[in-house]
Amino acid sequence: MELRPPIVIASGVGGMGEYLKLIDPRYIGAYTLKTITFKPRLGNPPPRLIATERYLINSIGLENVGVEKFIEELENGLYEELFRKVKVIFSFAGEDFEEYLKVAERMVPHQDRFVAFECNFSCPNVDFNPLSDTSQLKKMLIELRKKLDVFLIAKLGIEGAFIEQLAELVEECGWNGVTIINTIRALHIDGETLIKGGISGPILKPIALRAVYEVRNRTNLYIIASGGIMDETDAQHFFEVGANAVSIGTALYRDPTIVERIAKRFL
Amino acid sequence: MENFSLSRCELIRLNRDTFIVTFNEKIDFEPTQFIMIETETSIVRKPFGLGRWNDRLAIGVQVIGPGTAYIVRQEKLNAHGPCGKGFVPPKGRGAMIATLACLPMAFDLQERYDCDVFIGSVDEPWIEVPFPIVVGDEAFLKMLQSLNGYDWFLVIGSDQMEKIVYDALKDKAEVFVSFNEYMACGIGACRGCAKVTKHGLKHLCIDGPVLRGEEVWS
Repeated sequence: MELRPPIVIASGVGGMGEYLKLIDPRYIGAYTLKTITFKPRLGNPPPRLIATERYLINSIGLENVGVEKFIEELENGLYEELFRKVKVIFSFAGEDFEEYLKVAERMVPHQDRFVAFECNFSCPNVDFNPLSDTSQLKKMLIELRKKLDVFLIAKLGIEGAFIEQLAELVEECGWNGVTIINTIRALHIDGETLIKGGISGPILKPIALRAVYEVRNRTNLYIIASGGIMDETDAQHFFEVGANAVSIGTALYRDPTIVERIAKRFL
Repeated sequence: MENFSLSRCELIRLNRDTFIVTFNEKIDFEPTQFIMIETETSIVRKPFGLGRWNDRLAIGVQVIGPGTAYIVRQEKLNAHGPCGKGFVPPKGRGAMIATLACLPMAFDLQERYDCDVFIGSVDEPWIEVPFPIVVGDEAFLKMLQSLNGYDWFLVIGSDQMEKIVYDALKDKAEVFVSFNEYMACGIGACRGCAKVTKHGLKHLCIDGPVLRGEEVWS
């Protein structure tokens, strides 16, 4: 996969293409859609967000229309403008191993439209954690690889197992890349409001940087670095430790034009 | 919808903690639409309802923390918008009940629609404002009881104030409420500003910010 510029709009944060209203598509290497699951998901009950200067905690819970409705939207042309303007990455997940496979099966006829499929194994806001059972995970990685003839990316988090070991497993199963890292489970208390969700923002950078460093030293996978990339210097640091592309997420909430500024430096 | 920079024209102090900021730029917007403004103290931009004051684009800001203090201090602000659905009232005469920080929105609404405006405030304003103002909780509740003969109400303020107004007015006419769920993107991407309604989840940045009160509280 060749991304020019090597900048990805992160899944979840970027929604279903809405940021094209605020970002010039010339500066987007690839746009990752919100994670699609087999069944529609309402997501978690509000409150879903809390933000401070250093971090954001979200508890969206993979709200999405489900794969059948998504395919209907795709076939009805809802995302034509997005496909016309940028490369698109499809992100998917399941509430168990079987559902990952079912989503993949349904998407096979449409796989050529996407530059890659990103398999979200690490959402901290759902009950199922596929990374905690590596033998099952391995079986699924192999099954998904057999089904899908696309550039396959595993989105890994740091919870469940050492991320470099997981990345080695991903490579061993014939996958092409990893997105490192996802948000991490966290809790925020503000008066009577308690938000249990995944933490993101600048606070994640040292953790994500170490993860990318370790995975680059152990694998030849394509690495999309994700976690605390807020400006050009942050992006530079991730490229220095071996990232092939950087994923911009929470920084979009502070300033969507950050994508253009980073892109101009690394085009 | 676009990114833009706003340059401050005037800062008008309404009382000890509430300000109107007017800007030199012009933006087309509909009533209750808002912009997301960048601050130095939060990782996300913050929503502020758009309005007019002294023939200029304006927002009202109640300073409650470092983010809102930053907004009234800065000469230039980065923002994007306008966001949200514009409020279109039903036919007939209406009334807007709002806090002091909503003066620019109220002023704009009254210019466009047949409506009266009533302001509830904890303190007396320091300047003369062109709407009736009631100061203190008791006077505010009494004022709500006296509101009759309207076809609709629009309430914009704090969560607590909005619920009080809804309960007081729901049997008199349709009550519309501008809700205050936390936002991150303001454009429908993140799904953070979800609100549970009797018609399912709504996202305030694209389905709102104004919803019918009965959708949420009945």
